[in-house]
Amino acid sequence: MTVFEPFEAFGDLEEIAERLASEDPSVRRLAVLDLVETSSGEAVPLLAGAILDVEPVVRQQAAQALGEFDGIDVAKALIGAVADPVAEVARAAADSLAELRDPEASGVLLPLVTHPAAFVRAAVFRALKALQVDASLGPAITGLGDDDPGVRVQAVGVIGYLKKTETLPSLISATRDKSADVRLAAVNALSFARNEVAAQAAAAALSDPEWQVRAAAAEAIGRIGQASAAVALIASLADGYWQVRQKALQNLGRLRVRDGVEAIVAFLDDELPSLRKDAAAALGDIADQRSRDALTRHTGDADPDVRKTVIWALGQIGGG
Amino acid sequence: MPIAHTPTAVPVVVDEAKCIADKGCTVCVDVCPLDVLRISDLTGKAYMKYDECWYCMPCETDCPTGAVTVNIPYLLR
Amino acid sequence: MDEIKNGLSEVVCDILVIGGGTAGPMAAYKAKRHSPGARVVLLEKANVKRSGAIAMGMDGLNNAVIPGYATPEQYTKEITIANDGICDQAPVYKYASRCFEIIQELDGFGIKFQKNENGDFDVKKVHHLGSYVLPMPNGDTVKKALYRQLRREKVLISNRYMATRLLTGRDGRIAGAIAVNTRSAEFLVLRAKTVILCAGAAGRLGLPQSGYLWGTYENATNSGDGYAMAYHAGAALANLECYQINPLIKDYNGPACAYVAGPFGAYTTNSEGNRFIECDYWSGQMMQEFYNELQSGKGPVFLKLNHLHSDTIGKIEAVLHQVERPSRGRFHENRGTNYRERMIEMHISEIGFCSGHSASGVYVDEFARTTVPGLYAAGDMASVPHNYMLGAFTNGAVAGEHAAEVAANIDLADYDAADVIREQQRVLAVTRREDGIPPNQLEYKTRRFVNDYLQPPKVTAKMKLGQARFAEIREDMESAMVVRDAHELMRSLEAASILDCAEMAAFASLFRTESRWGLYHHRVEYPEKNDDDWFCHSILRKRDGRMTAEKRPVAPYIVPIDESERSAYDRQRIRQHA
Repeated sequence: MTVFEPFEAFGDLEEIAERLASEDPSVRRLAVLDLVETSSGEAVPLLAGAILDVEPVVRQQAAQALGEFDGIDVAKALIGAVADPVAEVARAAADSLAELRDPEASGVLLPLVTHPAAFVRAAVFRALKALQVDASLGPAITGLGDDDPGVRVQAVGVIGYLKKTETLPSLISATRDKSADVRLAAVNALSFARNEVAAQAAAAALSDPEWQVRAAAAEAIGRIGQASAAVALIASLADGYWQVRQKALQNLGRLRVRDGVEAIVAFLDDELPSLRKDAAAALGDIADQRSRDALTRHTGDADPDVRKTVIWALGQIGGG
Repeated sequence: MPIAHTPTAVPVVVDEAKCIADKGCTVCVDVCPLDVLRISDLTGKAYMKYDECWYCMPCETDCPTGAVTVNIPYLLR
Repeated sequence: MDEIKNGLSEVVCDILVIGGGTAGPMAAYKAKRHSPGARVVLLEKANVKRSGAIAMGMDGLNNAVIPGYATPEQYTKEITIANDGICDQAPVYKYASRCFEIIQELDGFGIKFQKNENGDFDVKKVHHLGSYVLPMPNGDTVKKALYRQLRREKVLISNRYMATRLLTGRDGRIAGAIAVNTRSAEFLVLRAKTVILCAGAAGRLGLPQSGYLWGTYENATNSGDGYAMAYHAGAALANLECYQINPLIKDYNGPACAYVAGPFGAYTTNSEGNRFIECDYWSGQMMQEFYNELQSGKGPVFLKLNHLHSDTIGKIEAVLHQVERPSRGRFHENRGTNYRERMIEMHISEIGFCSGHSASGVYVDEFARTTVPGLYAAGDMASVPHNYMLGAFTNGAVAGEHAAEVAANIDLADYDAADVIREQQRVLAVTRREDGIPPNQLEYKTRRFVNDYLQPPKVTAKMKLGQARFAEIREDMESAMVVRDAHELMRSLEAASILDCAEMAAFASLFRTESRWGLYHHRVEYPEKNDDDWFCHSILRKRDGRMTAEKRPVAPYIVPIDESERSAYDRQRIRQHA
C-alpha cells in the first residue's frame, strides 16, 4: 500500500514569497494567484508589496487579488493603487475597494471622496454604501453635487441605504438631477419613507421625460403607500409608454385605489395581454363590486394568464 | 476491435502567445468541471485534450491572461 | 498526468462530504462550524473552486421564502400541490423556515443578491400566488465566496477524487467510502462516522437532441453517481419515475431562465406569439402543456421578449449573458438572434433525475437522513422536491449540522477489507483489457435507448424493451469496456452510474401503474391519476442484490391543503386531457 496525502495543500507563504522575487513577471503573477489560494491574512502584506511591482500586469493581478481579502491593511494597499499611472491597475484597485466590508475601512475610505478621479470617487461611495456607517452621510450629500453622474448615483445609494427621514430633501432634489440615472436612483431611494413629502416627490417624477424614471416613480408610490398620490397614478394610466402604464396598474392595485376602478376596467380590453392581466390583478386587489360585471365579461379572454387572473380577481371580489 | 481516432473540432481554443502554462500556470486545467484541458508536453501550453465540453466558461473567465476562448460546440451551434 | 498508477491509501475523518458543488460545501462548512475540532473532508471529482451545477454561478433564487413576501406555510402548500400531493411536507417546511437565514448568511459571505436603493432584498413578484424570485446580478461570485469560507474553516478538500462506492459496516451503519483519483487511478479509502452525499443530479441520463453527450441541461459532470452509490448501499430512493424535464433554449440546451426574464415582462408563447400555459405551478403539468404545444400545429414554442423596451432587454441580457450559462449570448450571436427582433426558440430537455426541479431523489427526512444509518443526502440528489439552489444550500446546512452532531457521539464503524479489494477489481477491470469498447460508446448507446424507450409518454412495452437493451449493455460493460488512461477510467465509472440510473428509471416507471405529475410520469396505458392505489411514494431499493420497489405512505400533512385548492389544480389538468 502506497501512502499519499489526498488533501489540497494551499501553498507555503515563504515559498510563494520567493517566487514573488522572480525575475520573470509571469512567475510573479502566478505567485499572486497562489497568495489568494492561501486565504490567509498573512498574504496581505505580500500582496501590498506586489501591488507596487514594476510590471503593470503583476500590479493589476495584485489589485484584483486584494479584493478577496478584507480589513484596513487591504484598504490602505488599495488606496495607493487607485493612483496607479496604468488605468487597468487603478480600476482593478477601485473595484476591489468597493468589495471592502470591514466597517473600520470606512475611516480610510472617507478621505477619498474628493479624489480627483471620478471612478475612484464612485468606487468609494459604492463601498461606503454597503458599509452603512453614519459618517458617510455628510460626504454623500456633498457628493450629490459631484460633476460625474456615476458618482452622484453612488452617493444617492449611500443616502438611500441609511434610510433617514432627514435626508429626504437631498434625495428629492436628486430626483430633479440632469442625469436620468441619478433621477432613477433617487426615486427608488426615497421610497423607504412612508410620508406625504416622499409621495408627492414620487408623484412629480411621474412626469419625468424618461420612461424608466416614470415607471420607478409608479413603483415608489406603491411602496410609500400614501393615498394622496393616487390621482397622479390614475393619470399615468394615460402615459405614452406601456411599461409605465403597467407599473401604474400594478401599484393602483397595491394601494387599493377604488377611484381607479373605472380607468382600470378599460384596460381589460387592451391589445397587450400583459396589461389585461395586470388590470385584472389590480381589480382583484381592489376587490370593488363595481368591477364584477366587467371581469365576468372577460373570463373567456384568449390569453390563459389573463383568464386565470380574471377568475382569481372575481374570487377576491366574492359575493354576487 | 482497434480504437479509431475520429476527428472533432474542439470548442475550447487557447492562444499560445498569451498562455503562460509554461511558467507554471494551471488555472484553466484546474477549473474545468469536466477536466478536459491539459498542458501539452510538446509546447508547454494548455490545450483541449478531450472533446467533452459543457461550454460553461470558467476556463475562459478565470484565465489570468485572457488566452482561452470557449466556442459553442459545432453540433449545437 | 493521466497514466494509471497503483496506489491505495486510507484516511480517517469524522464527517465525509461527497460532492463539492452547492450542497456539499455548505454541508462541510456547517459541520465544521458545529464541531470545530472535527475532521471534515470534502471530496470532489473535479475541483471545488468550479464544480457542480453552479460552476459558473447562478442568476437568481426562484424559491426564496422571505418574510413579508411569502410564508413557509404558503410555500409548503404550493410545493405540495405542484407535486400532485405526493410530498412529505416536513423537509419542505423546514427548508422554507430556514432558507431566509441561509440567504442572509450567503449575503455575509459576499454573494450578492439584488438589493433596492434602500439596501433591502429586491424580491420580484411574478404572479398572485407568492413572491419567491430574488435576482443575483453578480451571481458569478457564488463559488468563489463559498470556497473562501471553506478555506477559512480549514475544511480538508480532496479534489480529483471520485467516490465509487459507499462502505457500510456489519451493523448496517455507514462506514465511509472508496474513491479513485481521476488523474492517476490511485485508490483512497475514507473512513467516516457520518457521510453526506451531495453528488448532484443524474443529468447525463437522456441524450440531448443535438446528440452531443456533453450538451446536457444539467452540468454534464452530474452523471448520477450519488444515486448509484446510494442504491448500491441499500438506501431507499423515492419517486424516480417523477423525471426532471425542463424547458430550455433549443440546441443550446440550457435554461432560458424565464424566471429571470419573467419579472421584466417576458413570457412563453407558441409560434403565434400567444401564451398557452394554463398551469400556475412549475410542474410536470406545465411541462405536459409545453410538450402538447410543441407537438401541435402551434409549435414551436418561444420565449418572447421583443415586446419589451430595448433598455429592458439590455438589463435581461446583462444577467443572462453574464451569469450561470454565459455562453448563451455567444450561441445567440452565432445564429444572429437578437432578443429585440426575434423570439427565442425553446424546447424541452432530455430526461434526468433531479429533485432540484422535480422530485426524484434519494429518500430523506427533515434532517436530511437517508434510510441508511449515518448516511445523509442533500441537494439535487435528495428527495426534497423543487428545492433548487437555495434548497441545496439550506438542506446541505441541515445535513452538515445533524451529521456533525451525530458524529460527535459515535465511533467509526468497521468495514470489511474484502469490500475494498472487490471494488478495486470492479473499477480496474476496464484497465486490464487490451481491446474492447470505450466508455463513450457504451454511454451513447445507453442514453439513446433512454430516449427511445423511457422518455414520456411512457409505454410499457417500450420500457420493457429498454430494460432488455440495458441488460445487453451491462454485459458489454462488464466484459468488454476498455480505458486507456485515468480520465477515461472516470468516464467508465460515470457510464456505469448512468446505466444504473437508466435501469432505475425504467423499473420505477413500470412500478407506478397510473399517470401523475403531468408529463413526468404520463403512462399511456394508465392515463388517469389513481389516488386510491397510488397516493403514496414509490420507493426503490436494492435488496439481496436485486432491484425492488414498494409503496410508502405520504406523511400526514402539517400544512393542510383545502379540497378547493387541490381541485383547482386538477381542473387545469382535465382541460389539458380534453
